[in-house]
Amino acid sequence: MHQIVQACIVGILTGGIYALMASGLTLVFGIMKVINVAQGALVILAAYLSYTLFSQLHVDPFLSIVLVTPAMFVLGVAAQLLFIRSLRGPEGSELSLLVTWSIALGIEGVLSVVYKTTYRSTIPSYANRTWDIGGYHISLVRAGAFGAAVLILLLLFLLLTRTRLGRAVRATVQNPTSARLLGVDTDRVSALGFGIGVSTAAAAGAVYGVIYPFNPGSHYDLISRLLSIVVLGGLGSLGGAILAALLMGVVEALVAVEISPIWSAFSFFVVLIAILLVRPQGMFGVRERTL
Amino acid sequence: MKRARIVVVSGLVAALSIAVASSTASSGASTLKIGISLSLSGDFSDSGKAAQRGYRLWANVVNAHGGILGKKVKLTILDDTSSPTQVVSNYQNLITHDHVNLVFGPFSTLLSAPAAVVAHRYGYAFIEPAGGGPAVFQEKLNNVFFTQPAPIVQSADVFAHYILSLPKSKRPRTAAYPSLDDPFASPIADRVRHLLERAGVKTVYKTIYPSETVDMAPIVAKIAASHPDAVIGGSQSGDAYAEIKAMEQAKFSPKFLFFSNGPNDPAEFPGQVGANNVNGIFSTGDWFPDEHSPGNAAFVRAYLKAYGGTKFTIDPTSAEAYATGQVVQDAAARLHSVDNKKLISGLHHGTWPTVEGALRWNSIGEPQGSDLLVEWIKGKLYPVYPPKTALRKPFEPKPAWHS
Repeated sequence: MHQIVQACIVGILTGGIYALMASGLTLVFGIMKVINVAQGALVILAAYLSYTLFSQLHVDPFLSIVLVTPAMFVLGVAAQLLFIRSLRGPEGSELSLLVTWSIALGIEGVLSVVYKTTYRSTIPSYANRTWDIGGYHISLVRAGAFGAAVLILLLLFLLLTRTRLGRAVRATVQNPTSARLLGVDTDRVSALGFGIGVSTAAAAGAVYGVIYPFNPGSHYDLISRLLSIVVLGGLGSLGGAILAALLMGVVEALVAVEISPIWSAFSFFVVLIAILLVRPQGMFGVRERTL
Repeated sequence: MKRARIVVVSGLVAALSIAVASSTASSGASTLKIGISLSLSGDFSDSGKAAQRGYRLWANVVNAHGGILGKKVKLTILDDTSSPTQVVSNYQNLITHDHVNLVFGPFSTLLSAPAAVVAHRYGYAFIEPAGGGPAVFQEKLNNVFFTQPAPIVQSADVFAHYILSLPKSKRPRTAAYPSLDDPFASPIADRVRHLLERAGVKTVYKTIYPSETVDMAPIVAKIAASHPDAVIGGSQSGDAYAEIKAMEQAKFSPKFLFFSNGPNDPAEFPGQVGANNVNGIFSTGDWFPDEHSPGNAAFVRAYLKAYGGTKFTIDPTSAEAYATGQVVQDAAARLHSVDNKKLISGLHHGTWPTVEGALRWNSIGEPQGSDLLVEWIKGKLYPVYPPKTALRKPFEPKPAWHS
């Protein structure tokens, strides 16, 4: 029982970080119907930026979130203006896959040249500290990363529900044509939305490097998980992505402890397929109606 | 008219053939052409370039001393883009088009296995630095000579031998074996497990995790719950780092901690797990910068002069490539020939001193030596076993994590 509870703690903390990464992916899809398969590479790019700030300028990795996130927001807006905006028409979504995959490979290539392919870790002095509560170990950095993820997701939620930009974003997600008729500048919303999506990757990347070793190729595994999370949660659903990420974290940790690590990742896909059989639109997705 | 044209063309062809033949002969008389395919781009490019540095360094050193049998060494290096298909084309071209005298091996088992077959087809000796996996030896080719002390799957046997050399009271009584699902990881730990189980060390936990496993915390929780005296991980670098970090966070520190890869990188490892937490961790390696092997001190000096850096940033792949050249150099001196047939026959007998130690091979090219057991002691990595190559005595138990 002790191991099961410990696994659940680890799973929830891990799931929180994945929720932050996936939130940007699902948001971008909701606004633009663009599947940003560069999201994993952007997480790794942010992990490298945070690592560099820590190793060269001794900036704490959690503090680096406030530096890396705005920089990546600008990068996201620029990428949307340069590469994504021109993808219009019925094939826009499919073409966006190719374009964002090209961005991912470009980021991987640049990182490989600059940092080489060896693994890196951001290790602050408190990296191995744990809280022992009732016999359970809670890693300080994992708890901190989870807390940061919750805080950023909360800010994202407030941005979407309490601001003019947020209302414009939600209107664009629900019906871009109607939003445009009501005076929403959907091009501007798309650019800012893509920037916000990239920002969530940036925040998650800064803490990712504290918990896991990473190299330029780490994004392949990340993006497969993130896509699974947003599909399970329902494409475009922020709440769905958060719940799916937590579910993934807990299921994988429990299976690794109780059955075998070899079935760990597979088990999540079993859950994914089982839920999609019942709800093809994902847990919180909306089924599109056609005439 | 037509007949005259045929005569002229025939004459030109004959003249050209003689010119080509004489140029090849004169080139053959003054140079020893060695063809190599390396991964200078693609997935293995870091290691491919490290091998290139080793090969070029050896060629420069040997040429500065008059070459081999009076001939200057000339390397022809082609990029295989880390592709097993391209590597076959490259060796085919090197042998049939460039008419190289010898070939040296590429990087990794994945590329060495098909390349060895090409070399065998044309009767070339295939002396190679980086293809130590079962795929290379299962073809049972007599022209293969792997220039490391032991095949990869036997690389951790030295840890089992060290454990069994301890008095019974100091040996671990229980062990856990978490291994990466990788042909260069889990078979290594399996061999150690068999050796230790036979000696009475009880296995309390074993598992194989897939390469996409990012979070090692659940696995470490399971290991910790089984309370093993020793944890022996068949690993690559990334998973070893993640596993050690998870152990630190779980405050689980076994008496013996071994990983087949990861802790054996003196430049990277402290930065991955924290410099305060490296002590007492074991790993294995085929080469060490301070090793007292034949020509090693000169190799390290020459390398640093040519490429800079520190001795601990030298990629072992460079040393492995350099050793490949040393084998040929020594064989030529002993056999008074670089004829491939004579090399293949000659290298199957005796021992061959290199920076990788004194090498000898069985009939299919598997080296018959032992890798080095290395351990982190006072923040530095040292060879600690076998005693004849050790620079420090091993210590146990592993101290607790620093914080």
